Amino acid sequence: MAMENPNESIARAPLPTEKTLAQRQNLFIQLTRFCAINLKMIKMIRKGHHPMERRVK
Amino acid sequence: MARVVILGAGVAGHTAALHAKRMLGKGNEIIVISPNSKYNWIPSNIWVGVGRMSAENVTFPLAPVYKKKGITFHQALAQEIHPEGDVSTGSGYVKVAYTDASRNGEVANIDYDYLVNATGPKLNFAATPGLGPDGHTVSVCTFGHATEAAKSLQEVIAVMKTGKRQAIAIGVGHGTCTCEGAAFEYTFNVEHELRAAGVRDLADITYITNEYELGDFGVGGLVFSQAGFQTTSKLWTESLFRERGIMAILGAHVEKIEPGAVHYELVDGTKGILNFEFAMLLPPFRGVDLKAFDKAGNEISDKLFAPSGFMKVDADYSGKPYEEWLASDWPKTYRNPLYPNIFAVGIAFAPPHQISKPRKSPNGTVIAPSPPRTGMPSGIMGKLAVMSINELIKNGPTATLGTASMADMGAACVASAGSGLRVGSAASMTMYPVVPDYIAYPNTGRSVDDTFGEIGLAGHWIKLALHYMFIYKAKARFGWFLIPE
Repeated sequence: MAMENPNESIARAPLPTEKTLAQRQNLFIQLTRFCAINLKMIKMIRKGHHPMERRVK
Repeated sequence: MARVVILGAGVAGHTAALHAKRMLGKGNEIIVISPNSKYNWIPSNIWVGVGRMSAENVTFPLAPVYKKKGITFHQALAQEIHPEGDVSTGSGYVKVAYTDASRNGEVANIDYDYLVNATGPKLNFAATPGLGPDGHTVSVCTFGHATEAAKSLQEVIAVMKTGKRQAIAIGVGHGTCTCEGAAFEYTFNVEHELRAAGVRDLADITYITNEYELGDFGVGGLVFSQAGFQTTSKLWTESLFRERGIMAILGAHVEKIEPGAVHYELVDGTKGILNFEFAMLLPPFRGVDLKAFDKAGNEISDKLFAPSGFMKVDADYSGKPYEEWLASDWPKTYRNPLYPNIFAVGIAFAPPHQISKPRKSPNGTVIAPSPPRTGMPSGIMGKLAVMSINELIKNGPTATLGTASMADMGAACVASAGSGLRVGSAASMTMYPVVPDYIAYPNTGRSVDDTFGEIGLAGHWIKLALHYMFIYKAKARFGWFLIPE
Protein backbone atom coordinates (compact mmCIF):
# COMPACT_ATOMS: atom_id res chain seq x y z
CA MET A 1 0.00 0.00 0.00
CA ALA A 2 1.35 3.44 -0.94
CA MET A 3 2.24 5.75 1.93
CA GLU A 4 0.41 9.01 2.38
CA ASN A 5 2.45 11.98 1.27
CA PRO A 6 3.56 13.43 4.63
CA ASN A 7 3.56 16.93 3.19
CA GLU A 8 -0.21 16.72 2.67
CA SER A 9 -0.58 15.81 6.33
CA ILE A 10 1.75 18.66 7.33
CA ALA A 11 -0.34 21.09 5.24
CA ARG A 12 -3.45 20.08 7.28
CA ALA A 13 -1.73 20.45 10.68
CA PRO A 14 -2.87 23.26 12.99
CA LEU A 15 -1.04 26.50 12.38
CA PRO A 16 -0.30 28.62 15.45
CA THR A 17 -1.96 32.01 15.51
CA GLU A 18 -0.03 35.26 15.75
CA LYS A 19 -1.06 35.43 19.41
CA THR A 20 0.38 31.96 20.12
CA LEU A 21 3.63 32.82 18.33
CA ALA A 22 3.90 36.04 20.34
CA GLN A 23 3.25 34.17 23.59
CA ARG A 24 6.08 31.76 22.74
CA GLN A 25 8.49 34.71 22.70
CA ASN A 26 6.97 36.84 25.48
CA LEU A 27 9.56 37.13 28.25
CA PHE A 28 7.08 37.28 31.14
CA ILE A 29 5.01 34.32 29.91
CA GLN A 30 8.11 32.34 29.08
CA LEU A 31 9.60 33.01 32.51
CA THR A 32 6.54 31.40 34.10
CA ARG A 33 6.73 28.54 31.57
CA PHE A 34 10.44 28.14 32.39
CA CYS A 35 9.54 27.58 36.04
CA ALA A 36 6.62 25.28 35.17
CA ILE A 37 8.63 23.14 32.73
CA ASN A 38 11.50 22.85 35.20
CA LEU A 39 9.13 21.69 37.93
CA LYS A 40 7.64 19.10 35.56
CA MET A 41 11.11 17.90 34.59
CA ILE A 42 12.25 17.68 38.23
CA LYS A 43 9.15 15.58 39.03
CA MET A 44 9.85 13.29 36.08
CA ILE A 45 13.57 13.03 36.93
CA ARG A 46 12.79 12.15 40.56
CA LYS A 47 10.55 9.33 39.36
CA GLY A 48 13.42 7.88 37.33
CA HIS A 49 16.19 8.31 39.94
CA HIS A 50 15.58 5.43 42.27
CA PRO A 51 18.23 2.90 41.28
CA MET A 52 18.58 1.30 44.71
CA GLU A 53 14.91 1.35 45.67
CA ARG A 54 13.86 -1.52 43.41
CA ARG A 55 16.21 -4.40 43.88
CA VAL A 56 16.81 -7.78 42.35
CA LYS A 57 18.87 -10.70 43.58
CA MET B 1 41.16 -3.83 47.14
CA ALA B 2 39.09 -4.04 43.96
CA ARG B 3 40.02 -2.62 40.60
CA VAL B 4 37.14 -1.17 38.57
CA VAL B 5 37.87 -0.56 34.90
CA ILE B 6 35.53 1.66 32.90
CA LEU B 7 35.67 1.56 29.10
CA GLY B 8 34.62 4.90 27.62
CA ALA B 9 34.39 8.46 28.91
CA GLY B 10 31.13 9.68 27.42
CA VAL B 11 28.00 10.45 29.43
CA ALA B 12 27.65 6.89 30.80
CA GLY B 13 31.36 6.14 31.32
CA HIS B 14 32.34 9.52 32.75
CA THR B 15 29.34 9.51 35.11
CA ALA B 16 30.29 6.00 36.21
CA ALA B 17 33.92 7.04 36.77
CA LEU B 18 33.10 10.07 38.94
CA HIS B 19 30.55 8.18 41.03
CA ALA B 20 32.91 5.20 41.32
CA LYS B 21 35.59 7.41 42.82
CA ARG B 22 33.06 9.02 45.16
CA MET B 23 31.49 5.74 46.29
CA LEU B 24 34.36 3.25 46.07
CA GLY B 25 37.39 5.50 46.07
CA LYS B 26 38.94 4.59 49.40
CA GLY B 27 40.82 1.33 49.05
CA ASN B 28 39.67 0.63 45.50
CA GLU B 29 41.23 1.60 42.21
CA ILE B 30 39.24 3.30 39.43
CA ILE B 31 40.61 3.19 35.89
CA VAL B 32 39.12 4.83 32.81
CA ILE B 33 40.13 3.72 29.32
CA SER B 34 39.05 5.98 26.47
CA PRO B 35 40.60 6.61 23.04
CA ASN B 36 39.58 10.28 23.27
CA SER B 37 41.54 12.89 25.21
CA LYS B 38 38.48 15.15 25.59
CA TYR B 39 35.03 14.93 27.09
CA ASN B 40 32.33 16.08 24.63
CA TRP B 41 28.90 17.24 25.81
CA ILE B 42 27.31 15.84 22.67
CA PRO B 43 23.82 17.43 22.94
CA SER B 44 25.41 20.85 22.32
CA ASN B 45 27.18 19.63 19.15
CA ILE B 46 23.99 20.76 17.38
CA TRP B 47 24.94 24.37 18.17
CA VAL B 48 28.52 23.74 17.00
CA GLY B 49 27.04 22.39 13.75
CA VAL B 50 25.46 25.75 12.96
CA GLY B 51 28.39 27.85 14.18
CA ARG B 52 26.69 29.17 17.33
CA MET B 53 29.25 27.48 19.59
CA SER B 54 32.84 26.41 19.08
CA ALA B 55 34.30 22.97 19.76
CA GLU B 56 35.98 24.46 22.84
CA ASN B 57 32.56 25.36 24.28
CA VAL B 58 31.43 21.71 24.29
CA THR B 59 34.66 19.89 25.21
CA PHE B 60 37.35 19.84 27.89
CA PRO B 61 40.43 17.65 28.49
CA LEU B 62 39.70 14.58 30.58
CA ALA B 63 43.17 14.03 32.05
CA PRO B 64 43.19 17.03 34.47
CA VAL B 65 39.74 16.08 35.84
CA TYR B 66 40.80 12.48 36.44
CA LYS B 67 44.10 13.60 37.96
CA LYS B 68 42.24 15.91 40.36
CA LYS B 69 39.85 13.12 41.37
CA GLY B 70 42.52 10.41 41.68
CA ILE B 71 41.21 8.33 38.80
CA THR B 72 43.76 6.57 36.59
CA PHE B 73 43.27 7.49 32.93
CA HIS B 74 44.57 5.52 29.98
CA GLN B 75 44.02 7.26 26.65
CA ALA B 76 43.70 4.03 24.74
CA LEU B 77 41.36 2.01 22.58
CA ALA B 78 40.03 -1.19 24.11
CA GLN B 79 40.48 -4.01 21.59
CA GLU B 80 39.84 -7.27 23.44
CA ILE B 81 38.16 -8.44 26.62
CA HIS B 82 39.49 -11.59 28.27
CA PRO B 83 36.88 -12.13 31.02
CA GLU B 84 38.47 -15.40 32.19
CA GLY B 85 42.06 -14.22 31.85
CA ASP B 86 44.33 -16.56 29.90
CA VAL B 87 46.74 -19.44 30.51
CA SER B 88 49.07 -17.18 32.50
CA THR B 89 46.49 -15.31 34.65
CA GLY B 90 43.11 -16.07 36.15
CA SER B 91 42.17 -12.40 36.30
CA GLY B 92 39.98 -10.82 33.65
CA TYR B 93 41.76 -8.20 31.59
CA VAL B 94 41.31 -5.79 28.70
CA LYS B 95 43.84 -5.49 25.91
CA VAL B 96 44.26 -1.88 24.85
CA ALA B 97 46.21 0.11 22.26
CA TYR B 98 47.27 3.59 23.34
CA THR B 99 46.16 6.57 21.25
CA ASP B 100 47.98 9.42 23.02
CA ALA B 101 50.98 10.91 21.24
CA SER B 102 53.56 9.67 23.75
CA ARG B 103 52.54 5.98 23.62
CA ASN B 104 50.67 5.81 20.28
CA GLY B 105 50.22 2.22 19.15
CA GLU B 106 51.70 0.70 22.32
CA VAL B 107 49.69 -2.32 23.49
CA ALA B 108 49.00 -3.29 27.11
CA ASN B 109 46.82 -5.64 29.16
CA ILE B 110 44.89 -4.05 32.03
CA ASP B 111 43.47 -6.38 34.70
CA TYR B 112 40.10 -5.76 36.30
CA ASP B 113 37.91 -7.10 39.07
CA TYR B 114 34.84 -5.30 37.70
CA LEU B 115 34.37 -3.98 34.19
CA VAL B 116 31.91 -1.30 33.06
CA ASN B 117 31.52 -1.25 29.29
CA ALA B 118 30.44 2.27 28.31
CA THR B 119 32.15 2.45 24.95
CA GLY B 120 29.23 4.14 23.19
CA PRO B 121 28.62 3.44 19.53
CA LYS B 122 30.70 2.96 16.43
CA LEU B 123 29.45 5.54 13.91
CA ASN B 124 28.67 3.15 11.09
CA PHE B 125 28.92 5.46 8.08
CA ALA B 126 30.05 2.46 6.02
CA ALA B 127 26.52 0.99 6.17
CA THR B 128 25.40 3.51 3.52
CA PRO B 129 27.67 4.14 0.53
CA GLY B 130 28.58 7.82 0.28
CA LEU B 131 27.37 8.68 3.81
CA GLY B 132 29.41 10.87 6.14
CA PRO B 133 32.36 13.23 6.16
CA ASP B 134 34.41 10.81 4.02
CA GLY B 135 31.51 10.70 1.55
CA HIS B 136 29.13 13.44 0.48
CA THR B 137 27.29 14.46 3.65
CA VAL B 138 28.16 16.08 6.96
CA SER B 139 27.45 14.92 10.52
CA VAL B 140 27.17 16.43 14.00
CA CYS B 141 28.01 13.25 15.92
CA THR B 142 31.40 14.50 17.10
CA PHE B 143 32.63 18.03 17.77
CA GLY B 144 34.99 17.68 14.79
CA HIS B 145 32.17 16.63 12.48
CA ALA B 146 29.98 19.45 13.78
CA THR B 147 32.71 22.03 13.13
CA GLU B 148 32.93 20.84 9.52
CA ALA B 149 29.13 20.90 9.22
CA ALA B 150 29.08 24.56 10.29
CA LYS B 151 31.65 25.41 7.60
CA SER B 152 29.60 23.66 4.91
CA LEU B 153 26.45 25.40 6.08
CA GLN B 154 28.15 28.79 5.82
CA GLU B 155 29.17 27.94 2.26
CA VAL B 156 25.57 27.27 1.14
CA ILE B 157 24.41 30.40 2.97
CA ALA B 158 27.03 32.37 1.01
CA VAL B 159 25.67 30.89 -2.23
CA MET B 160 22.11 31.81 -1.23
CA LYS B 161 23.25 35.37 -0.57
CA THR B 162 24.07 35.58 -4.29
CA GLY B 163 20.38 34.85 -4.96
CA LYS B 164 20.75 31.17 -5.87
CA ARG B 165 18.23 28.65 -4.47
CA GLN B 166 19.69 25.76 -2.45
CA ALA B 167 18.28 22.40 -1.36
CA ILE B 168 19.00 21.26 2.19
CA ALA B 169 18.51 17.67 3.37
CA ILE B 170 18.66 16.82 7.08
CA GLY B 171 17.81 13.56 8.78
CA VAL B 172 19.10 10.03 9.18
CA GLY B 173 21.20 8.10 6.68
CA HIS B 174 19.91 4.54 7.10
CA GLY B 175 16.70 2.66 7.86
CA THR B 176 17.98 1.51 11.26
CA CYS B 177 19.31 4.81 12.59
CA THR B 178 18.56 6.24 16.02
CA CYS B 179 18.81 9.83 17.40
CA GLU B 180 15.99 11.19 15.23
CA GLY B 181 15.54 13.86 17.93
CA ALA B 182 19.01 15.22 17.16
CA ALA B 183 18.26 15.35 13.42
CA PHE B 184 14.96 17.11 14.20
CA GLU B 185 16.79 19.63 16.39
CA TYR B 186 19.44 20.28 13.78
CA THR B 187 16.73 20.87 11.16
CA PHE B 188 15.23 23.69 13.20
CA ASN B 189 18.63 25.16 14.04
CA VAL B 190 19.51 25.34 10.36
CA GLU B 191 16.12 26.89 9.62
CA HIS B 192 16.77 29.46 12.37
CA GLU B 193 20.22 30.27 10.94
CA LEU B 194 18.82 30.75 7.45
CA ARG B 195 16.25 33.19 8.81
CA ALA B 196 18.96 35.04 10.74
CA ALA B 197 21.04 35.26 7.55
CA GLY B 198 18.04 36.61 5.61
CA VAL B 199 18.04 33.79 3.06
CA ARG B 200 15.24 31.52 4.33
CA ASP B 201 13.12 32.10 1.22
CA LEU B 202 15.93 30.69 -0.94
CA ALA B 203 16.16 27.35 0.89
CA ASP B 204 14.13 24.17 0.36
CA ILE B 205 14.56 22.23 3.60
CA THR B 206 13.60 18.54 3.65
CA TYR B 207 13.69 16.30 6.72
CA ILE B 208 14.32 12.69 5.65
CA THR B 209 13.83 10.02 8.29
CA ASN B 210 13.18 6.36 8.98
CA GLU B 211 10.31 7.33 11.32
CA TYR B 212 6.97 6.16 9.94
CA GLU B 213 5.30 9.28 11.31
CA LEU B 214 6.63 12.68 12.32
CA GLY B 215 7.07 12.87 16.09
CA ASP B 216 7.97 9.19 16.45
CA PHE B 217 11.53 10.03 17.65
CA GLY B 218 12.37 6.31 17.80
CA VAL B 219 10.10 5.85 20.82
CA GLY B 220 6.85 5.16 19.00
CA GLY B 221 5.63 8.75 19.39
CA LEU B 222 4.16 10.40 22.47
CA VAL B 223 0.70 11.25 23.71
CA PHE B 224 0.37 14.23 26.02
CA SER B 225 -2.27 16.59 27.23
CA GLN B 226 -2.47 20.13 25.91
CA ALA B 227 -5.22 22.72 26.44
CA GLY B 228 -7.58 20.13 27.84
CA PHE B 229 -7.09 17.54 25.12
CA GLN B 230 -4.85 14.56 24.63
CA THR B 231 -2.75 15.21 21.55
CA THR B 232 0.02 13.36 19.78
CA SER B 233 3.61 14.26 19.06
CA LYS B 234 2.72 13.59 15.39
CA LEU B 235 0.22 16.45 15.22
CA TRP B 236 2.42 18.67 17.33
CA THR B 237 5.48 18.07 15.13
CA GLU B 238 3.51 18.45 11.91
CA SER B 239 2.29 21.82 13.17
CA LEU B 240 5.89 22.91 13.73
CA PHE B 241 6.89 21.72 10.24
CA ARG B 242 3.98 23.65 8.72
CA GLU B 243 4.81 26.79 10.66
CA ARG B 244 8.48 26.68 9.56
CA GLY B 245 7.81 25.55 5.98
CA ILE B 246 9.81 22.32 6.20
CA MET B 247 9.02 19.30 4.03
CA ALA B 248 9.37 15.68 5.11
CA ILE B 249 10.13 12.26 3.68
CA LEU B 250 9.06 9.57 6.14
CA GLY B 251 9.62 5.84 6.47
CA ALA B 252 12.79 6.12 4.41
CA HIS B 253 15.87 3.93 4.20
CA VAL B 254 18.75 5.80 2.59
CA GLU B 255 20.37 3.35 0.15
CA LYS B 256 23.29 5.41 -1.07
CA ILE B 257 24.46 8.95 -1.49
CA GLU B 258 26.00 10.36 -4.61
CA PRO B 259 27.29 13.94 -4.91
CA GLY B 260 24.16 16.06 -4.49
CA ALA B 261 21.70 13.13 -4.43
CA VAL B 262 20.25 10.97 -1.66
CA HIS B 263 18.84 7.71 -3.01
CA TYR B 264 16.16 6.26 -0.76
CA GLU B 265 13.53 3.56 -0.48
CA LEU B 266 10.26 4.01 1.38
CA VAL B 267 8.35 1.52 3.53
CA ASP B 268 5.91 0.99 0.62
CA GLY B 269 8.81 -0.09 -1.62
CA THR B 270 8.87 2.99 -3.83
CA LYS B 271 12.23 4.60 -4.49
CA GLY B 272 13.19 8.21 -4.90
CA ILE B 273 16.02 10.72 -5.10
CA LEU B 274 16.37 13.80 -2.92
CA ASN B 275 18.73 16.35 -4.44
CA PHE B 276 20.77 18.55 -2.14
CA GLU B 277 23.44 21.18 -1.93
CA PHE B 278 23.88 20.61 1.82
CA ALA B 279 23.06 17.37 3.63
CA MET B 280 23.47 16.44 7.29
CA LEU B 281 22.50 12.81 7.74
CA LEU B 282 23.22 10.91 10.95
CA PRO B 283 24.79 7.45 10.62
CA PRO B 284 23.44 4.21 12.07
CA PHE B 285 25.18 2.94 15.20
CA ARG B 286 26.71 -0.43 15.95
CA GLY B 287 28.88 -1.73 18.76
CA VAL B 288 32.54 -0.75 18.74
CA ASP B 289 35.10 -3.21 17.38
CA LEU B 290 35.69 -5.06 20.63
CA LYS B 291 36.33 -8.81 20.67
CA ALA B 292 36.12 -11.29 23.54
CA PHE B 293 38.19 -14.43 24.21
CA ASP B 294 37.96 -17.26 26.72
CA LYS B 295 40.78 -18.58 28.87
CA ALA B 296 42.04 -20.87 26.09
CA GLY B 297 42.13 -17.97 23.63
CA ASN B 298 39.04 -19.00 21.66
CA GLU B 299 36.90 -16.11 20.44
CA ILE B 300 33.61 -15.79 22.36
CA SER B 301 32.44 -12.46 20.94
CA ASP B 302 29.13 -14.01 19.85
CA LYS B 303 28.44 -15.00 23.49
CA LEU B 304 29.24 -11.60 24.95
CA PHE B 305 27.84 -9.41 22.19
CA ALA B 306 24.64 -9.29 20.13
CA PRO B 307 24.99 -9.37 16.30
CA SER B 308 24.76 -5.54 16.41
CA GLY B 309 28.05 -5.51 18.35
CA PHE B 310 26.40 -4.21 21.54
CA MET B 311 26.98 -6.13 24.77
CA LYS B 312 24.34 -8.55 26.05
CA VAL B 313 22.92 -7.80 29.49
CA ASP B 314 19.89 -8.96 31.49
CA ALA B 315 17.37 -8.32 28.70
CA ASP B 316 15.02 -10.67 26.82
CA TYR B 317 16.80 -11.38 23.53
CA SER B 318 14.35 -14.09 22.39
CA GLY B 319 13.43 -12.06 19.29
CA LYS B 320 9.69 -12.14 19.96
CA PRO B 321 7.34 -10.33 17.53
CA TYR B 322 6.25 -6.71 18.05
CA GLU B 323 2.79 -7.73 19.28
CA GLU B 324 4.38 -9.62 22.21
CA TRP B 325 6.84 -6.93 23.33
CA LEU B 326 6.69 -6.06 27.01
CA ALA B 327 8.26 -3.40 29.19
CA SER B 328 9.80 -6.26 31.18
CA ASP B 329 11.91 -7.26 28.14
CA TRP B 330 14.22 -4.34 28.96
CA PRO B 331 17.28 -4.80 31.19
CA LYS B 332 17.12 -3.81 34.84
CA THR B 333 20.67 -4.22 36.16
CA TYR B 334 22.74 -4.04 32.90
CA ARG B 335 24.78 -6.98 34.15
CA ASN B 336 26.20 -9.48 31.67
CA PRO B 337 24.52 -12.86 32.25
CA LEU B 338 27.68 -14.86 31.47
CA TYR B 339 30.19 -12.80 33.44
CA PRO B 340 28.51 -11.15 36.45
CA ASN B 341 31.45 -8.79 37.06
CA ILE B 342 30.82 -7.08 33.70
CA PHE B 343 28.20 -4.36 33.17
CA ALA B 344 27.27 -2.59 29.91
CA VAL B 345 25.65 0.85 30.09
CA GLY B 346 24.58 3.70 27.82
CA ILE B 347 24.60 2.95 24.12
CA ALA B 348 26.95 0.00 24.72
CA PHE B 349 24.25 -2.37 26.00
CA ALA B 350 22.25 -4.39 23.48
CA PRO B 351 18.58 -3.42 23.58
CA PRO B 352 16.15 -6.36 23.37
CA HIS B 353 14.33 -4.79 20.42
CA GLN B 354 13.20 -1.43 19.07
CA ILE B 355 10.62 0.77 20.82
CA SER B 356 8.96 2.01 17.60
CA LYS B 357 7.12 -0.55 15.53
CA PRO B 358 9.64 -2.05 13.07
CA ARG B 359 8.60 -2.20 9.42
CA LYS B 360 9.88 -3.90 6.30
CA SER B 361 9.41 -2.74 2.71
CA PRO B 362 8.02 -5.17 0.09
CA ASN B 363 11.65 -5.47 -1.08
CA GLY B 364 12.63 -6.81 2.35
CA THR B 365 14.40 -3.66 3.53
CA VAL B 366 14.16 -3.19 7.30
CA ILE B 367 13.06 0.33 8.19
CA ALA B 368 13.03 0.45 11.96
CA PRO B 369 14.27 3.31 14.16
CA SER B 370 16.63 1.96 16.82
CA PRO B 371 15.85 2.86 20.41
CA PRO B 372 17.50 6.03 21.75
CA ARG B 373 19.45 5.49 24.98
CA THR B 374 21.56 8.59 25.34
CA GLY B 375 21.63 11.47 27.82
CA MET B 376 19.79 11.05 31.07
CA PRO B 377 19.18 7.26 30.79
CA SER B 378 22.90 6.75 30.01
CA GLY B 379 23.95 8.70 33.08
CA ILE B 380 21.54 6.82 35.35
CA MET B 381 22.78 3.46 34.01
CA GLY B 382 26.41 4.49 34.61
CA LYS B 383 25.62 5.43 38.21
CA LEU B 384 23.59 2.26 38.72
CA ALA B 385 26.47 0.02 37.55
CA VAL B 386 28.77 1.64 40.12
CA MET B 387 26.17 1.30 42.89
CA SER B 388 25.85 -2.39 42.00
CA ILE B 389 29.62 -2.88 42.07
CA ASN B 390 29.68 -1.16 45.46
CA GLU B 391 27.10 -3.67 46.72
CA LEU B 392 29.06 -6.59 45.26
CA ILE B 393 32.31 -5.43 46.86
CA LYS B 394 30.60 -4.98 50.26
CA ASN B 395 28.31 -8.01 50.29
CA GLY B 396 29.82 -10.47 47.83
CA PRO B 397 28.21 -12.28 44.89
CA THR B 398 24.84 -12.68 46.63
CA ALA B 399 24.41 -8.91 46.99
CA THR B 400 21.07 -7.39 46.06
CA LEU B 401 21.39 -5.03 43.10
CA GLY B 402 19.41 -1.92 42.23
CA THR B 403 17.47 -1.56 39.00
CA ALA B 404 17.03 1.20 36.43
CA SER B 405 15.00 -0.15 33.53
CA MET B 406 14.26 2.22 30.66
CA ALA B 407 10.67 1.11 31.19
CA ASP B 408 10.90 2.72 34.62
CA MET B 409 12.76 5.95 33.92
CA GLY B 410 11.95 9.08 32.01
CA ALA B 411 13.86 11.26 29.60
CA ALA B 412 13.83 14.88 28.58
CA CYS B 413 14.52 16.13 25.07
CA VAL B 414 14.91 19.82 24.37
CA ALA B 415 15.34 20.66 20.70
CA SER B 416 16.51 24.23 20.76
CA ALA B 417 17.39 26.77 18.07
CA GLY B 418 19.27 30.01 18.56
CA SER B 419 21.78 30.76 21.28
CA GLY B 420 21.13 34.05 23.02
CA LEU B 421 18.70 34.68 25.86
CA ARG B 422 16.26 36.77 23.82
CA VAL B 423 16.50 35.10 20.41
CA GLY B 424 15.63 31.46 20.09
CA SER B 425 12.97 28.88 20.52
CA ALA B 426 12.73 25.26 21.53
CA ALA B 427 10.51 22.25 21.49
CA SER B 428 10.72 20.78 25.00
CA MET B 429 9.53 17.22 25.53
CA THR B 430 9.61 14.81 28.41
CA MET B 431 8.40 11.26 28.52
CA TYR B 432 7.89 8.80 31.33
CA PRO B 433 8.74 6.02 30.91
CA VAL B 434 11.04 5.92 27.87
CA VAL B 435 9.85 2.41 27.00
CA PRO B 436 6.05 2.31 26.99
CA ASP B 437 4.50 0.10 29.64
CA TYR B 438 0.97 -0.81 28.54
CA ILE B 439 0.35 -2.75 31.77
CA ALA B 440 1.09 0.22 34.04
CA TYR B 441 -0.37 2.78 31.61
CA PRO B 442 -2.97 0.90 29.52
CA ASN B 443 -4.10 3.71 27.20
CA THR B 444 -0.95 5.38 25.97
CA GLY B 445 1.87 3.29 27.48
CA ARG B 446 3.14 6.34 29.34
CA SER B 447 2.11 8.61 32.19
CA VAL B 448 0.22 11.48 30.56
CA ASP B 449 1.04 13.65 33.61
CA ASP B 450 4.79 13.19 33.10
CA THR B 451 4.81 13.23 29.30
CA PHE B 452 4.49 16.63 27.72
CA GLY B 453 5.60 18.87 24.88
CA GLU B 454 5.80 22.64 24.68
CA ILE B 455 7.24 25.16 22.23
CA GLY B 456 8.72 28.48 23.29
CA LEU B 457 11.69 30.52 24.43
CA ALA B 458 11.55 28.88 27.89
CA GLY B 459 12.75 25.57 26.46
CA HIS B 460 15.68 27.39 24.90
CA TRP B 461 16.68 28.74 28.31
CA ILE B 462 16.40 25.23 29.74
CA LYS B 463 18.70 23.83 27.05
CA LEU B 464 21.24 26.59 27.73
CA ALA B 465 21.01 25.91 31.49
CA LEU B 466 21.48 22.18 30.91
CA HIS B 467 24.54 22.86 28.75
CA TYR B 468 26.33 24.82 31.48
CA MET B 469 25.05 22.61 34.32
CA PHE B 470 26.16 19.30 32.79
CA ILE B 471 29.58 20.62 31.76
CA TYR B 472 30.00 21.89 35.36
CA LYS B 473 29.01 18.43 36.62
CA ALA B 474 31.31 16.63 34.15
CA LYS B 475 34.23 18.80 35.31
CA ALA B 476 33.54 17.43 38.82
CA ARG B 477 33.36 20.89 40.30
CA PHE B 478 32.10 21.61 43.82
CA GLY B 479 28.84 19.77 44.55
CA TRP B 480 28.77 18.07 41.12
CA PHE B 481 27.06 14.96 42.50
CA LEU B 482 24.06 17.01 43.62
CA ILE B 483 23.16 17.59 39.97
CA PRO B 484 21.02 14.65 38.85
CA GLU B 485 21.91 12.62 35.81
